[in-house]
Amino acid sequence: MQDNVYLPQLARVVRIADEVAGERAIKTYHVEPLDSAGFEHACGQCAMLSIFGRGEMMISIASSPLVKEYKQFTIMRTGRVSLAFHELAVGDVVGMRGPYGNSFPIEAWRGKNLVFIGGGVGLAPIWPLITTAMAQRGDFGDIGVFYSTRSSSIMYRAELEALRGQADVHLEGWRTHQAGVAAGTAEQTVTAENSVAVVCGPPAMIKSVIQNLCQLGFADEQIFTTLENKMKCGVGKCGRCNVGKDYVCVKGPVYSWAELKKLPQEY
Amino acid sequence: MEKILHKERLDDWIAALSDREILSPALEDGVWAFRPAGAAVRLDYPNTTQPPKGLAFPQREVFFSFEQVKGEAPLLRQTLPQVAQRVVFGVRPCDGRAVPRMDKVFSDHVEDPYYWARRKQVAYVGLACQQPPSSNCFCQSVGGSPVSSDGLDVLLTDLGERYFAAAVSETGKALMMAGESLFEAATDADRAQLQGAHAAALARPQRAVRDPDALPSKLKASFDSPLWEELARACIGCGICTFLCPTCHCFDINDEVTGAAPLKGKRVRTWDTCQFPDFTMHTSGHNPRENSGARLRQRVSHKFQYFHENFAMHQCTGCGRCVTGCPVGIDIVSVVNKVAEHAG
Repeated sequence: MQDNVYLPQLARVVRIADEVAGERAIKTYHVEPLDSAGFEHACGQCAMLSIFGRGEMMISIASSPLVKEYKQFTIMRTGRVSLAFHELAVGDVVGMRGPYGNSFPIEAWRGKNLVFIGGGVGLAPIWPLITTAMAQRGDFGDIGVFYSTRSSSIMYRAELEALRGQADVHLEGWRTHQAGVAAGTAEQTVTAENSVAVVCGPPAMIKSVIQNLCQLGFADEQIFTTLENKMKCGVGKCGRCNVGKDYVCVKGPVYSWAELKKLPQEY
Repeated sequence: MEKILHKERLDDWIAALSDREILSPALEDGVWAFRPAGAAVRLDYPNTTQPPKGLAFPQREVFFSFEQVKGEAPLLRQTLPQVAQRVVFGVRPCDGRAVPRMDKVFSDHVEDPYYWARRKQVAYVGLACQQPPSSNCFCQSVGGSPVSSDGLDVLLTDLGERYFAAAVSETGKALMMAGESLFEAATDADRAQLQGAHAAALARPQRAVRDPDALPSKLKASFDSPLWEELARACIGCGICTFLCPTCHCFDINDEVTGAAPLKGKRVRTWDTCQFPDFTMHTSGHNPRENSGARLRQRVSHKFQYFHENFAMHQCTGCGRCVTGCPVGIDIVSVVNKVAEHAG
C-alpha cells in the first residue's frame, strides 16, 4: 500500500473485452501499472479505480493473484465512473489504488469440494478463486460453478465453457428468483460434506442462495460471500461501507455466513 | 505543570506565542466561531457553534490535482497540507474529548496523511465550563466532565481575576514555557480554589443519558424495533446533526473539474453524512439504509454501540450541538433514553 493511501498509481488499459451488451453492459478490462511497481493482491480483495475528472469507484479484482502482469476488472455500466470506464479505449491511462479488504481463506480449503455461485456481475469477485483453484486443480475436490443472470447474457462465457471437463459447470443453473428450481438443481450435484460454498451477486440473491445452502446441510462456517457495499476511501475512514462495528472495506468484503450473522442485517 | 496567569497577562502570553497562528472564539454575524485571534483572545463565550474539528479535518480539502492532455498519461500533484503551528484557545472539554476519538479513527488500520499533517500542528488550550454553555449539555453522562482535560494540551480554569493553567501534555508545557515569566507558581490556596470551582461546575445540573454503560447492549437489542421509524418521523435528512458533531468523520471523495482541454481538476474530500439518503445507496438502486429510521439508528448506534465495540468508548462527548441545531427537534438524549427504556 502506498504512503499516501489516497494517491492512485497510474495504470494503462491493455485489453477491453465486451461481456454483455445493453443498458447495463458489462466489460472486462486488463490494466497494467505504468511504473511496473503495481501491487500484490489476494483472492477477494478490491481496488479503487479512477478516471480523473469523473472520480473513483471500488471494484473487486477479478484476476487470480497468480497473474502478476495485469489486474482484471469486470465493470457493469451503472454509475458515473463505470460509465466513463465504458468509454475507454485500449491504451488509456486510469488510476488504481489498493489492494483493499480481506481475502478468501483459500489455503484452508485445500482438499475440499468447492461450490461457486455467481449472479450477474457478481461472478467477478469470485472469479479469482475459480481461476486460482483451476490452476491448482489437484489441490481441491469436486468443483462446481453455478451461474445465473436476470437476462440471458452470460459473462465470461468462453472461459466458463472452457472449465467444462475439469469442473461441473451450470450456466443458468441456479436461478435464485426461482428458489425451488435452484434447490432442485443443486440437490443433484452439491453435497455439503467436506465442501465450501462461495456466493456473490445481488443482495437478494445472496440471501436466497444462503437459505438454499443451509437447507442442503451447509453449516454457517462453510458458506462465504462478499459484501460489495458502496465505498469511497477503502481504508476504513469515510464511513460509507460501515455495517455494525465493521468497515467492510477493511474487515470485509469476504465474510463467512457465520461471521455475517453477527453483524446487523443491514447490507 | 500548574501555574497561575492573571487575566490581564493573557494577551502577553498570546504575544509570546507569535510564531504560531492563534485562534480563539469570535462573534461573527451572531455566531461564535474559532477565528484568527489577532491581538486579543476572547474567552467570554458560551460555546462555538461548530466544534474545532475542522482544524484537523476541514469540511473541504484537496487530495491532489490532476492534469491530462488527451491521449497522454495524467500528471498528478499531491497537495499534502503545509500548515503552520496553530494554537486554538477556548476549547470546551467536550470538544477536547473529541480529539482522541478522531485520532483513533484517522490512525486505525492506516494513518490518514491529510488529517495528521494538520493535526500534528494543532495545540488545544481548553477552558473549563463553570456553567453548562448550552441547555443541551450532557457531557457528564457520557464519561466526560465540564472540567475534563482529556484531549487538551492546556486546561484553563477561570478563577475570577486569574486563570489556573494546567499543562496536560508536553506540547502544553512548551506553550506555557514560551511565556514562562508571565505565569506565577500555583499555591495550595490556588489549588483549593480550583477544586472548589471544579466541584461547583460538576454540581451544575445537566441533561442526562440514563445508564450509558448499558447502551451498547440495549441498542443491539433494539435494532429491529419499529421505534426507530417513529423517532425519525420528523427527520428531513439535512445532516446538520453530524456536521455540527465534534466526532462525526464520514466523508465523500469527488473530482472537481476546472478545465476541459487539457483536463484539469482536483480530487477533493468533503464532509458527508450517514443521514443523507444516498449515502449507502448502491448504483444498482439497492439501499441498505433506505429510510430515515434506519439512518437515525445508524448515527446513534455508531456513537453508542459500534464505536464502543471497537474502541471501548462512546463516540459522543455530550456537547449537545446536534440537539440544539436540529431543525425538527430530534434529540439524541431523548432518543437513546427512549430506546433504552423500550429495550427494557
